[in-house]
Amino acid sequence: MSAATDNKGRIANVDATLTSVIGQLETEANVKKAIRESLEPIEEFSRSALTELNKLHSAPASDQAAICERCLATVAKAQPLWADVSKLIPKGEFYRYSFAIGPLCRSFVTSIAFARFILHDELVPAFTAANLMGLGGDDTGELQLTADDYLQGVIGMVNELPRLSINAVTAQNFALPVKIAAFVNDVFQSYSLLNLRNDQLRRRFDSLKYDLKRCEDVVYDLTLRGLTAGTAAEANGEKTNA
Amino acid sequence: MADVMMAEPSSSTSALTRREHLAKTFEAYRAELDANTETRERLIILSRSITQMSKKLIFHLHRGATSGLVARAKNIRDGKGKEKEIIANFEKIRAELGSGESAESFWRWARPVSPGLEEYIEAVSFLFYLETGRLISLAEVQKGLSNPQTEEPYVVVTPEDYILGMSDLTGELMRYATNALSTGDHETPLAVCEFVRTVKVYFDGIPPYQLHKLSKKQDETTRSLVKIEKVCYSLRLRLIEFADRPDILRQMASRALDDARGDEPAGKDEE
Repeated sequence: MSAATDNKGRIANVDATLTSVIGQLETEANVKKAIRESLEPIEEFSRSALTELNKLHSAPASDQAAICERCLATVAKAQPLWADVSKLIPKGEFYRYSFAIGPLCRSFVTSIAFARFILHDELVPAFTAANLMGLGGDDTGELQLTADDYLQGVIGMVNELPRLSINAVTAQNFALPVKIAAFVNDVFQSYSLLNLRNDQLRRRFDSLKYDLKRCEDVVYDLTLRGLTAGTAAEANGEKTNA
Repeated sequence: MADVMMAEPSSSTSALTRREHLAKTFEAYRAELDANTETRERLIILSRSITQMSKKLIFHLHRGATSGLVARAKNIRDGKGKEKEIIANFEKIRAELGSGESAESFWRWARPVSPGLEEYIEAVSFLFYLETGRLISLAEVQKGLSNPQTEEPYVVVTPEDYILGMSDLTGELMRYATNALSTGDHETPLAVCEFVRTVKVYFDGIPPYQLHKLSKKQDETTRSLVKIEKVCYSLRLRLIEFADRPDILRQMASRALDDARGDEPAGKDEE
């Protein structure tokens, strides 16, 4: 009989313990949900920025700078919203929730790096990209652009360049493919300096060499036909001014 | 590419300076990534050794759990010694994460640490059950993994870690119950069955989106539970039939066990 009462006590203990822990799990799920919701308006801007950049593929060369400016302006609109996300993250727990924030950061880096390449023919440094996103201020607390997200975001942008290079040729913009090939080559060489583990970044890095090859193939086709700037300055100048 | 460079000397010079500039920034990224990799590797090593030690502790506990009272008490005492050695490794993890850095660093490295943590939770909850017959609480697990003076956690135990650990515990309890049965102990299987059933009911109530990994483990728990329920069924019948014949009971128990095992795919128990 005593064994039976003993067992009852045990079951009561299980009840109390599990009810409490399941409650905690729920609280945590609610925090995650709130963070996800706070990210939604920012995602909206991130998507519009990419949509804007997509126009590069069909726009004439003369419109490209304006498209990139509009893209960066869209990115800037998201800046004040990060404070709302930051408020929801308990002190010291950025990395606990970074799984929800990382993909968004990568998408922003892709947009920013793309626009800055077209505008200034440069690879935007991580620090600048973070600033343009609006991270690193006092009100964004511990939110940060991690090295991994930055490096992946840049690759996301390079992945788009072979397509842009091909479309530039169709639109008779023969300077851009040369500019793209030189840039992708520089980026590829820079990434080669990194010691990558066998992770997602490594797999995405492996995609770079195919992008590089495709960009160089376009330049090869142009060179063969005397359409690159150096060998056919006249033709090129005419087209880009048109 | 070389041809292009030759064809365009002006852009080639600017590319060179850009490349040099990039090389500098990427060296900084490399230093950061390398430092991260090194920390991660050290943590993985610690986490692995925690996993190994926890598995050993579980085997140790199984070996003594069905012994006589004195031997069982000694087994649990030894088990606690082993648990202390495991905790020392968690202390090393905390040291690895650096004292200067804030608590954030734990969350950054939670992933490489979590396999060891889960195994530890399984081991310590089994130890706790054998000692007290109760389910260890999250707060109690956390307390064991905290600095006894400052009460600062070495690692943070989340409700997820805890629940997954408890789900693994049910598997160990099943093994314990069947082992007990073959020594002629009838109370343990009945108590464990009831206990696991209660845990399962609670875990079934957790919506899958809150804890993906649980549903697979729940399937496992359900399988073991069905198995032990069958054992309990035959056990109950035999207890009524042969209440005054312990020797026959023992025989019957081991037969019931074989029957239940027959339903399982081979090799299931060695997992």
